Amino acid sequence: MLRAVTHFQKQLGRCIQAALYALLSLSFTAGAAEFSLNIADIVAPDFSARGITLTLPEDGSADLRIAELHVQQRGLRNVSLHCASFALSTASLSCHGGSLAQLPGMALEFDYRFATASWQVSAKLRNVPGKQLAIFLPATMPLPTQGKLSGMLRISGEASGVAAVDADIQMAEVGFSDASGLHAAEKLRGTVKLAAARKGALWNWQGNIAWQSGELFWQPLYLRGDHRISASGSLDGARLKVEQAIVDLPEAGRVQFATLWDMKQGALAECTAHGDNLALDKLFSDYIKPFLDKGALAESHLYGRADVDWRYRNGATQSLRLALRDAGIADVEQRFALLGVNSEIDWQAAAPRTANIIFAGGALLGVPLGSGQWTVEMRGMDFGVAQGVLPVLDGRLELRDFRLHHKEAAWRWEFAASLSQISMEQFSQAAGWPKMLGTLAGSIPRVSYDGGAINVDGALLFNVFDGTVAATQLKLADPFGRAPHLSGNLTMRELDLDLLTRTFSFGNMQGRIDVDVNNLELQGWQPARFDARLSSSAGNYPRKISQKAVQNISALGGAGAAAAIQRSYLRFFENFGYDRIGWSCKLRNGVCAMGGVDNGNGGAYAIVKGGGIPAITVMGYNRSVSWDELVTRLKRVTQGNMQAVVK
Amino acid sequence: MNAMLKFIVAIVALTAALNVFAAADLEVNTPGVNAIKQSMQARHAQLAGHYTSGAVGLTADGLIALRDAGAVPLAQRQAVNALVAAENNDRNALYAEIANANNHPEWQAEIRSTFAQRWIQRAQPGWWVQSGGGWVRK
Repeated sequence: MLRAVTHFQKQLGRCIQAALYALLSLSFTAGAAEFSLNIADIVAPDFSARGITLTLPEDGSADLRIAELHVQQRGLRNVSLHCASFALSTASLSCHGGSLAQLPGMALEFDYRFATASWQVSAKLRNVPGKQLAIFLPATMPLPTQGKLSGMLRISGEASGVAAVDADIQMAEVGFSDASGLHAAEKLRGTVKLAAARKGALWNWQGNIAWQSGELFWQPLYLRGDHRISASGSLDGARLKVEQAIVDLPEAGRVQFATLWDMKQGALAECTAHGDNLALDKLFSDYIKPFLDKGALAESHLYGRADVDWRYRNGATQSLRLALRDAGIADVEQRFALLGVNSEIDWQAAAPRTANIIFAGGALLGVPLGSGQWTVEMRGMDFGVAQGVLPVLDGRLELRDFRLHHKEAAWRWEFAASLSQISMEQFSQAAGWPKMLGTLAGSIPRVSYDGGAINVDGALLFNVFDGTVAATQLKLADPFGRAPHLSGNLTMRELDLDLLTRTFSFGNMQGRIDVDVNNLELQGWQPARFDARLSSSAGNYPRKISQKAVQNISALGGAGAAAAIQRSYLRFFENFGYDRIGWSCKLRNGVCAMGGVDNGNGGAYAIVKGGGIPAITVMGYNRSVSWDELVTRLKRVTQGNMQAVVK
Repeated sequence: MNAMLKFIVAIVALTAALNVFAAADLEVNTPGVNAIKQSMQARHAQLAGHYTSGAVGLTADGLIALRDAGAVPLAQRQAVNALVAAENNDRNALYAEIANANNHPEWQAEIRSTFAQRWIQRAQPGWWVQSGGGWVRK
């Protein structure tokens, strides 16, 4: 046996540009005509190989074995490369018909020229299981879990490193996932092509992905196949530039974009995007909605088509041009919809612009809205409508001084409005309420939202049931949260009892009442607290109460109370006269503390005080009742389940 | 001696604080608390399967977390993410609301940790819960 020790540091050092400690031992077995070369260690940053043996049989082939290979903190044991044809001369080293025991299905070739230190590695893949490639990839990126890869990969370089990469890979049923499962794919089928070349420190690249089928989840996006992208650009150490990219989004349309990505900051430095005739519903639901936080917009559908042109620079949108064609928005819970919107919006961050928005109609809380045209003044993130008309059923809402602006990370808005002559009958039907009579008209002095609460300045005035309703100190905190909190006072004057009782089928009453609800607090739209008082209005007007209404009022006091009337002579009359009606409820902790016309004496209090002929006085005996119980009784009464029995 | 006195004062103060917190009514009933509980109850049916599969687990700070996204089909992963986020919003709101309803907003942290223990105690066998910084299967 002959043993020789040589140092190859010079040449191999040029090849991997790193610290290399090589100790070679050559063993030459004379009888078997086999030449074997042992290299102890090769150590470089991100790369180390130990226990390297190169065996050269007589037939011109070669076998390279590496006992332990570490690439980017991943370890491989017993790597075994076989070259069908191996040539080593003073000028070059080459391997043809190479194969790796770890990757069946991959044919390798490589070539190294000592004089220029240029090298080239190429691999042909034929149904290589993706999972076996995982060991060559950094553990931090999503790793292949299933499927097969075919195609070609060629990498070449010289002393200064990799100079060109060329890849054309077909994926079949490929899956991958990162450790968190938030970046994963299954059953991908398609082609990836990439050509990249380096000049100095700058890479120029162009690529092309035709993704036919399979599914991808890249948090928060979930996409299915049929996407195509072709792009070209450059890459230096700090920035990734996409000079031009064309993306075909299934059922949404084609988008062209160019971007500059700052890799050090991990942020978008510049972007322009353009798309013509894009289908808004698919574009929004698949590509925009997943990025939105829970909110009204995140629970909406978009409709129609649009041309979009977006320019982004210096961390903000610089301009957005939107040409909307029969576009629309509707929230999932049918609270709000605006449809048939046509407009050319040319928004600029730094210059004032005006947009005319024409809309065909819409709906608000089930109430249909008519068509209109609004002129929107845009000054950056400040939008204003000086005057706008919104047809509501047979009347209209006139909006004044509407302003929407973005300040301190929140959208704020305010407006004043007046509502004219809307038929209450149509309005209540559309809103799904009991059929009410009369007209709805009112004025809204100023409503504002400061990012946390909606405030109404002044009094919100409405004309309903032939009387007036004024709401003051209205405040709605956390309006879009889990439990909106409403507070305020209601003052109702001279409501027509006839219209009111007919609406709620309570049994006819005639007269007028005033209602005050002070210190009202609703939490999650449920009453939590109020001081309510209902009493006959001052003045002269007919005061009549029907037998049925008397029974219903009595029934509110609890079962059995109504029976008393049926036993008395009063059951012979259909209507009674009264002098005053009065009832109060102080709600605290779910219990209503009740009172009547006056405080009464003892436990009893009068709710209806008799007067005229025949007169009737209805007494209440319960001073406190659970609010839920009272509401249940009221529902039972108004639903007519409690029929008055007149014998 | 001075140190001893300080120690005694500290112990007394601590015990007093615990006693004060012990008075918190965790079952307090306000429309706000009810609304949150109803919302959580409605969501529970959607989450239960994910607790069982191990995709979602109960954390030590009274919230829930996606612990094994791989247990959820790709198409539903974002929906589960959203469920977890919505549930955590509700849980945070619940602790704040109960503290407010007790007229002691500063009790929120203690209320949260009491609830955290409760959720974990009541978790069904097979669910994953956070314990000592790691996940364990009950």
